[in-house]
Amino acid sequence: MTKAMLIDTTRCIGCRGCQAACKQWHDLPGETTHNTGSYQNPPWISGKTRTVVTFNELEQEGALTWTFAKRQCMHCEHPGCASACTVGALRKTSDGPVVYDAAKCIGCRYCQYACPFDIPAYEWDEVLGLIGKCDFCVDRQGEGMEPACVKACPTEAITYGERDQLLAEAHRRIVADPTGYVDHVYGEHEVGGTSMLYLAGVPFASLGFPVLRNEPVSAYTEAVMRQTPTIALTVAAGASALYWIIKRRQMNMVLAEPVAAAPSIDQAAEKPEEVES
Amino acid sequence: MTNHWIDLRNSDVILIMGANPAENHPISFRWVMAAKDRGGIVIHVDPRYTRTSTQADIYASLRSGTDIAFLGGLIKYILDNELYQEEYVIDYTNASYLVNPEYTFEAGIFSGFQPDKASYDKSTWWYQMGEDGIQFMDRTLQDPDCVFQLMRQHYARYDLETVSNITGTPVEDLLKVYTAMGSTGRPDRVATIMYAMGWTQHTHGTQNIRAATIIQSLLGNMGMAGGGINALRGESNVQGSTDHGLLFHILPGYLAAPRAKFQALADYIDANTPKCSDPLSANWWQNFNKYAVSLLKAMYGDNATADNEFGYGWLPKLADSGNYSWLTFWPNIINGTIKGLLAWGQNPAVSSTNANWVRDSMDKLEWLVTVNLWDTESSSFWQRPGVDPAAIQTEVFMLPCAASVEKEGSISNSGRWVQWRYKAVEPPGEAEADGWIVNQLMLRLRQLYAADPGPNPDPILKLAWNYGEGEVDPHQVAKEINGWAVQDVKDAEGKVVVAAGQQVKNFTQLQADGSTACACWVYSGSYNEDGNMMARRDNVDTHPQELGLFSNWAWSWPMNRRIIYNRASVTMAGEPIDPKRALITWNAAEKKWEGDVPDGGWPPGERLPFIMRRGGRARLLGPSMADGPFPEHYEPWESPVFNPLHPQETNPALWDLEKDAKGATHAFPLVGTTYRVSEHWQTGAMTRNLPWLAEMQPDMFVEMSPQLAAERGIANGEWVIVESARGAIKAVAMVTPRFQPFIIHGETIHEVGLPYHWGYIGLVTGGSANELTPPVGDANTMIPETKAFLCNVRKSTNGTEEV
Repeated sequence: MTKAMLIDTTRCIGCRGCQAACKQWHDLPGETTHNTGSYQNPPWISGKTRTVVTFNELEQEGALTWTFAKRQCMHCEHPGCASACTVGALRKTSDGPVVYDAAKCIGCRYCQYACPFDIPAYEWDEVLGLIGKCDFCVDRQGEGMEPACVKACPTEAITYGERDQLLAEAHRRIVADPTGYVDHVYGEHEVGGTSMLYLAGVPFASLGFPVLRNEPVSAYTEAVMRQTPTIALTVAAGASALYWIIKRRQMNMVLAEPVAAAPSIDQAAEKPEEVES
Repeated sequence: MTNHWIDLRNSDVILIMGANPAENHPISFRWVMAAKDRGGIVIHVDPRYTRTSTQADIYASLRSGTDIAFLGGLIKYILDNELYQEEYVIDYTNASYLVNPEYTFEAGIFSGFQPDKASYDKSTWWYQMGEDGIQFMDRTLQDPDCVFQLMRQHYARYDLETVSNITGTPVEDLLKVYTAMGSTGRPDRVATIMYAMGWTQHTHGTQNIRAATIIQSLLGNMGMAGGGINALRGESNVQGSTDHGLLFHILPGYLAAPRAKFQALADYIDANTPKCSDPLSANWWQNFNKYAVSLLKAMYGDNATADNEFGYGWLPKLADSGNYSWLTFWPNIINGTIKGLLAWGQNPAVSSTNANWVRDSMDKLEWLVTVNLWDTESSSFWQRPGVDPAAIQTEVFMLPCAASVEKEGSISNSGRWVQWRYKAVEPPGEAEADGWIVNQLMLRLRQLYAADPGPNPDPILKLAWNYGEGEVDPHQVAKEINGWAVQDVKDAEGKVVVAAGQQVKNFTQLQADGSTACACWVYSGSYNEDGNMMARRDNVDTHPQELGLFSNWAWSWPMNRRIIYNRASVTMAGEPIDPKRALITWNAAEKKWEGDVPDGGWPPGERLPFIMRRGGRARLLGPSMADGPFPEHYEPWESPVFNPLHPQETNPALWDLEKDAKGATHAFPLVGTTYRVSEHWQTGAMTRNLPWLAEMQPDMFVEMSPQLAAERGIANGEWVIVESARGAIKAVAMVTPRFQPFIIHGETIHEVGLPYHWGYIGLVTGGSANELTPPVGDANTMIPETKAFLCNVRKSTNGTEEV
């Protein structure tokens, strides 16, 4: 029996109460952002932002839809990040959350490469950077409380409970309204199943969700990652160096040209392609 | 709201128009979703596809400022298809009343128009009255002078094609909305209407709501659980501040502010007490004298006696035709009539229409006091971009105040629920509660008047101002609002019903002889001898059908009534119109009503339900409106198209103080509108200073259709210039199919939308949409028309262009 969340995007009104509640509970700082022509901001999950509501305007068959999807760590049943972590800083708990122990983390960022959802975010601005990601409010759960985002949601777009019961509820909703939902509970089978379950009225790929196999990622990441620690470390160090070079150049440009309409380096560096939809 | 938030879940159809509750009242959507879960239909009518539209079963677009055309078409549809509830309409509305035969409506103007005054003589809009003081009626609704026939005739012009041609709404979408709303014109179905500033901020804003009144009255949806007309108040506790006399024309409890022509208390009371001899009409305002005298007793205490008219002479009087609304402040500051300004919990440099005019006016102030959580554009108006601070002589005082969680007191929500809240933390630094600041201000004024009385010290020195020297006790204030007996209150037999010093149970115990004091009669009952009713926290739904009244949670005005006009939910025979929504039921054995607190305890059939109306019936014809007894479509003050209904383009009685210059259509061809987003609050003073919200909506933006963007060569996300006849601002272009052009008289008309939250102070800053909006107002309320005006959008030459 593991805990899970059911995120029904058809009930989401995009108010982003969850996004603010997450920052409030975890005492995370705001980011410097810019409007790039979308309500979505910060553009994606980062070291300072553990959940982001994506805003997806879609026109299909002449009809306009605007779907909001709260994204965060999926808390996989068989997390690739945990199996890729050489020091045991990430692990799946029996209750559902995939938790992170900063004291053990050596900042290698294997987990970033292992995650099929592009979730673990590195604190690029910190000298001794660590990984930031949704912890499923494991501390609140330990006290018998629902996660902060669930509590903030006014429309029950996010519900919290036992995974099997939420799965049953998800299928009940699809059966009750077959035209309102696509017949797919995202997270039921993806990469062996996740603790975050989603419902939608449009195909998940159109909302920027990766199309994935049903086999756990960990089955192949473990094998790959064990063989290539040196290469991965080199890549990680290289990425850090590149980040600082770009950042310094950008800052110089900003100083020389005070009107900074371009997205900040944080967004440019961390905004994955598939968020655009 | 006539109803309340939770009651939204009881609706079969929810019409959301002139509002965007998913974004601006997100918690309300808990109940909108609950209605959907029960099979309810949600309709959203708005110029732009918003976060609210995403949850709508029916979305219909309309051009800003054309709501009356849209709703007039619905009235015609209801009448043509006989979808109204006939018994309800005959019994509970003024449909059957015969109107003065001299009433006319020609060429877009109602009878009695006085062009030199830009206002109406309303005498021809009144009813034909009998010798007995009761209006003549034709309950068959056939007489050509009856309200029903005049209404039918008035809206005969609003056919689908004409409406579509004005609003730009496709005919098939009009029909979808009309069919869904029309489906509730029967006993077992009910619709509610949710509206906000999208309806009010027009030169015909009050008439938008009047149109809703007509529709809901025809459909029999007033007084019903799941029905009503629900104003979504835009500011936390703005309901409370209006209840307590925030506006210039009212005293606490919606008592009319005295005018200079009423120098005697008796004249003031007489002028504000409607007369009706119909025994079926409760005519509740006949109690005006009790509420007015009790208010005077609360204000002046022992100094108020029968001999001095309870201190009525000390109340300031408005000039007979004086108007003291928002739009009049700024010219009066410029001409030196107003020398100082207290901007308390508000930020006019961003919130006011024509903000540049307002900011420039502020330069002329001798002094300004701002009371706020933050430094705002108003407190820093003297160092705004483009001005020389040395050239501005205004002395500015910035008083930091406590936030809502840093003080104890009550808060009134849109649904009239008054809820008590507690102080969670101490205010930081030198910040103090508003009550403390008011008290200190008054204590010092009193000292000054005592030392140097001048010609008229009594209005200050005679006040019963007894709130101590430091913290004001909110319980003391709340008890004063509820009211108490100054002397023993006795019934007809001489038995004491309230002993001197006791709290009155509710306003039915208030007296006109000075024996009671009450600071706001509509709140009487909120803090009586049973305790602080506002602090109640019993979350059991006691209604037998679980209609969600939660009558023992907090307290709602008046009388803890959760749905007002609820006697309209039963027939004159006392039968619930919809047995599955039996809001109140008559217990014949015990001779009392059960369920919600009824609008008066009379047995069924003894009184008409609309007790606050002189005649007891809802008004399909509104003879007291400033700009016509029936809502009529007029174009906004600035509009790119002509009015096809008649040569009268705009509301002839609209409020245009300065005879301001309109923007020319060739220079400003686009319709502009303003609104809010979920992430920011009003002028952004709170939210643009909070990093978690600033990061979500960092920059001023303008939403526009891809078609318009293509015409102007504008790319999504680039900085553009938005300009009107009054100003120009920079904004990020948000190019989105959620905005679509309108086809009006065969021409393509584009509309753009601007959130109004930004200014030059705060963590994130940007241009203020109100730099563009016009200083003209509604004929009845003078609320500025910020929801429809002319503007233009152009590509910024290099992104750094100054505006």
